[in-house]
Amino acid sequence: MLDGFEILTTSGIVLWRRHYTPISSSLIDSLVRDVFIEEKQKPGGGENGAPSYKKDRYTLRWTSAKDVGLVFVAVYQSLLHLSWIESLLTAVKGLFIKAYGQELKAAHTLKVNTAQWDPTFDALVNRLDTGSTRRQSDTIDSEGPTELTPPSSSAGDDADEPPPVPAPLFRKPAIPIKRDDLVGDSTSTDATPIPTPDTSRPATPGHAPSHLLTAKGGPGKASRRSRKAQTFNASAPASSGDESSPGHNLKGGAKTAAKGKRRWDVDGMAIEGDDDGVLDYSAPATPGPDSTERELDVAEVNTSQMGSRTGKGQFVLKDLDDEVDAILASSSKPQQRSNATDDTTGSGLLASASSRLTSLFRNVVGGKTLTKADLQLPLQQMQTHLLSKNVAPEAANRLCQAVETDLLDQKTANYTSIESTIRDSMTKALTRMLTPTSSLDLLREVTSITSGQGAPARPYVISIVGVNGVGKSTNLSKIAFFLLQNHFRVLVVAGDTFRSGAVEQLRVHVRNLSALSQREGVGKVELFEKGYGKDAATVARDAVAFATNKGAQPPGGSGQMLYDVVLIDTAGRRHNDSRLMSSLTKFGQLANPDKVFMVGEALVGTDSVAQARNFAKEFVDTKGKLRNNGVGMDGFIISKCDTVGDMVGTLVSMVHATGIPVVFLGVGQHYGDLRGLNVGWAVDKLMK
Amino acid sequence: MTRLEDWLTWTLSPSISAILVTLIFSLTLPILIHTYLYKRAVAKELPTFLLLGPSGAGKTSLLTLLSNGTPSPTHTSQAPQTATCQLPSTTHSSEDKYRSENDTSSRTQPSIHLLDTPGHGKLRHHAIASLTSPTALKGLLFVVDSAVLSSAAGLTETAEYLYDVLLLLQKRHTQGKTSKGPLAIPVLLVANKQDVFTSLPAGLVKSKLEEELGKVRQTRSKGLLDSGIGMDDDGEADEESNWLGEYGAKGFKFAQMREYGVDVEVVGMSTSAEGEDEGRVHECWSWIGANV
Repeated sequence: MLDGFEILTTSGIVLWRRHYTPISSSLIDSLVRDVFIEEKQKPGGGENGAPSYKKDRYTLRWTSAKDVGLVFVAVYQSLLHLSWIESLLTAVKGLFIKAYGQELKAAHTLKVNTAQWDPTFDALVNRLDTGSTRRQSDTIDSEGPTELTPPSSSAGDDADEPPPVPAPLFRKPAIPIKRDDLVGDSTSTDATPIPTPDTSRPATPGHAPSHLLTAKGGPGKASRRSRKAQTFNASAPASSGDESSPGHNLKGGAKTAAKGKRRWDVDGMAIEGDDDGVLDYSAPATPGPDSTERELDVAEVNTSQMGSRTGKGQFVLKDLDDEVDAILASSSKPQQRSNATDDTTGSGLLASASSRLTSLFRNVVGGKTLTKADLQLPLQQMQTHLLSKNVAPEAANRLCQAVETDLLDQKTANYTSIESTIRDSMTKALTRMLTPTSSLDLLREVTSITSGQGAPARPYVISIVGVNGVGKSTNLSKIAFFLLQNHFRVLVVAGDTFRSGAVEQLRVHVRNLSALSQREGVGKVELFEKGYGKDAATVARDAVAFATNKGAQPPGGSGQMLYDVVLIDTAGRRHNDSRLMSSLTKFGQLANPDKVFMVGEALVGTDSVAQARNFAKEFVDTKGKLRNNGVGMDGFIISKCDTVGDMVGTLVSMVHATGIPVVFLGVGQHYGDLRGLNVGWAVDKLMK
Repeated sequence: MTRLEDWLTWTLSPSISAILVTLIFSLTLPILIHTYLYKRAVAKELPTFLLLGPSGAGKTSLLTLLSNGTPSPTHTSQAPQTATCQLPSTTHSSEDKYRSENDTSSRTQPSIHLLDTPGHGKLRHHAIASLTSPTALKGLLFVVDSAVLSSAAGLTETAEYLYDVLLLLQKRHTQGKTSKGPLAIPVLLVANKQDVFTSLPAGLVKSKLEEELGKVRQTRSKGLLDSGIGMDDDGEADEESNWLGEYGAKGFKFAQMREYGVDVEVVGMSTSAEGEDEGRVHECWSWIGANV
């Protein structure tokens, strides 16, 4: 069942809302933030044009109307699969814009009188609601871990589900008693609670109700067989749209009443003999392919049923019928309408010449409504331009797609050509992509951690990772120089225990830096190394312990930490070498750095996308969650920017691949050649 | 041909009708031209007030409250929004300073534009663009969430945004082309969400922000250079121009901004409070009225 429906403007004002159950407003806030603003979700085709977003236990489906600046959002539980949501969204969009479009297009409207909308919406829902089907693949959602818990602790989950069939929970100690009841009571054929007798197969919440509806065995001997049937009957075949038909499950039960033949599906999971996902206790890595496959089993658009439900408000329905049918028909038809741009294909030279002249005229004067064909050629030119600036094709493609969706069916402003409109839009898209959500102020963070506000003072740990030869050690010494100038005590850790000369290289750097800092009387820098061949993760952990200096001396003297900042260098590694990359996970967990920066050189081409992705996904904490709010790393340092001149497209590729912002730029080989990122400068260079 | 010649002869002849026509034409044409140009040029721009602040502070909610009288439910904004509204009848505006107290003749309250901008980090360029563009900007309402200021992260984010905005205003003032300088823009710091239990009162909001701004300007002055500087033009690193307030002062106070024409006032209110106090919206209105 639908939990809520909201209609909001792009500026955030809610024009109309209907909540069937209390929904916190942070759900839609996070939808707007993650999908529309930060674009963390790839926009590529949701099911039939209404993309979906999952958070907590809810699924949100939405559609937007760009010309009036509206977003329509439907919220429902992830456990359910409502196939009629897309049609509801389309119908609501059509009807709402029809009813209130004029008011909305008038400038500065903040409020729309939506009193008449309530009955319309109710009628629409009654008409389109074809019931909900419980999704069998609910294990793929974030409730994976709950499978491991015995049924008694999953009480909370059951409360969430709308109960078409009441599902009381069963405690294990009660099992023997219940079984006897079952065996003894052979007269009632109603659904009675059936426990799962096997402790190694805990029931998932979604399957508890299905246990209710299995047939009951006869008395005596047949009880064992029926018990087996009940156990194995946990997963009714996925295509059941109707949980409440006992006959259906009876069939399923009878099928596996004999010793069940184990069958396997393409995922390597047993069908029918077992609860879904019970054998697979691992947290799902890619829920995508699984869920779509399951949905294919479940989806049945019962078009025959769409007309049969007539709720109250029949008067409104009669008016709605034609409109809704028209809207749904036009939206469900594939884009068969020929692009009406070629209307002027008249015969002859004169017609084509005049059409070209008018289009040229329109291009100069402006006021032209942009169609797909109009945008195609200039966008291709723009894409080639971006590729020439060393932006990866994937990123260039995505940017051009964003510009296209932004500009389609918009009118160009007065006296602006299509090219300049596209340039403006591309500049905006690039700025939005490169601007971080919150800018990094390294000095503030170091000061707050080392002075210990709210937590005991400890050293600030920064680690640098990257592929071979990008400039990790050089940029690490630049950062050390910057921190030294700000009077911090820095410990440089030689975590590269593999490459010959890595430790000596850092020793030279530390010698230079300490000479420089002594000259100016600022800071203190030392090298921590354990030679070659050791495990980098343990070296890092020992270094942090050394810097923290806990318990080394009695407090009240020099029991304080020896160093403010710990900079850990790591060995360069190819991003496609899985053995080396997996050692990064252990490194991340043992050293537990506050910041992980990946160095990428500005000279690299398309490889940057793969590099960034592979490095980012290695930094998971012990629970399997990526650190730093699920992105993995904290920032990119783009080195060797002085060598590329204008072609700074690597910035864009790496940010596109992971969503992690660029924090520093390396612009030379001396200690002072470190800069922060100025987004305007970068966008200028890219668009020049 | 003959008709044209006849007509031309008539216009140049000293007949009464020709003189009358010329008189009427020469008198009305300048008047028509004048009214046309006047209407086009003096399309009077309404005074604009800009609403900005970190994400989740309540700017859109405040916008709906000020323009509709009651707040509407809102979500995170993706795009800026303008609203036109009129000062309520109980507010005194700056136009009233020449009216006597006992003047009972009717007065029409001035209307204003309110411009609400998104607060999310990636969309702050809307607000910055509105600050630098030459609209009739009369004042700035910087909305902060008083409850989130008690946590370090929220305080830092708010202070950094406020620092950027105040620095922009300061630069606008000091780097003006003419000696008169651009019109000063006053800032009203709205400490929103005072109804929340963990919120700080307005005075504490002010002092906490001042302290935090002092720290921010300290680290910004020592921070790394931007990539846009130093690569194209040589080291124009003018430390003083990037230092907010009084150069070299120990701590930061909002009073230091008065030198640059930026008056900062702090007001505490709540957009969702019902009841006798009305969330103290009238304080906002009176500030707006004073600065119209």
